Amino acid sequence: MKAAPIFSDVLLGLAVLLVLASALGVLVMPDAYQKLHFVTPAALVAPILVTLAIGVRMGLTENTGESCVALFFMVVAGPYLSHATMRAIRVREKGDWRPGGGGKAPEAEREQ
Amino acid sequence: MSFVVAAIAMLIAMIPAAVVLVRGEPGEAVVGYEFVTSVVVMILALLAQGFQRPSLFELPILLAVLMYASGLVYVRALERWL
Repeated sequence: MKAAPIFSDVLLGLAVLLVLASALGVLVMPDAYQKLHFVTPAALVAPILVTLAIGVRMGLTENTGESCVALFFMVVAGPYLSHATMRAIRVREKGDWRPGGGGKAPEAEREQ
Repeated sequence: MSFVVAAIAMLIAMIPAAVVLVRGEPGEAVVGYEFVTSVVVMILALLAQGFQRPSLFELPILLAVLMYASGLVYVRALERWL
């Protein structure tokens, strides 16, 4: 039996375990800030493992290339999205994202 | 076959996030939405690979791009209006 399918399956198993654990984390954690920490493994690390699994199984093929493109967009977008989400939740709770509330709450914008 | 099994396992992982999405506060729901979207990108890639349909790999690419845009829309709405 060749090693590549086994290695590919191991990578897939790791990705699935990571996603399952992250899903439990999202469910169990008490607030949105802590839940958001568990999105990153599923949005960043698990796609890398899946792409590696496809690459190991298929080699340099169209499938591997296209999964790399999807991975690229996820890796680039994920941190920005997490930051924007964290900031929006803080603005929603505190009225401003800066410590001490340096600005006004976006009430005026809400009324528009 | 293992790719399809992994996709099904990841579908199961979406249940807790869906619970958060439906029952949580608006901020928690947005987090659940981001989680679900990220997992769906992987599921689509796994299914395309599992069924040996290279043309279906366009779906996860498209969703990965839309994930960013739609996530920002929801985040903006959360910050201003929700």
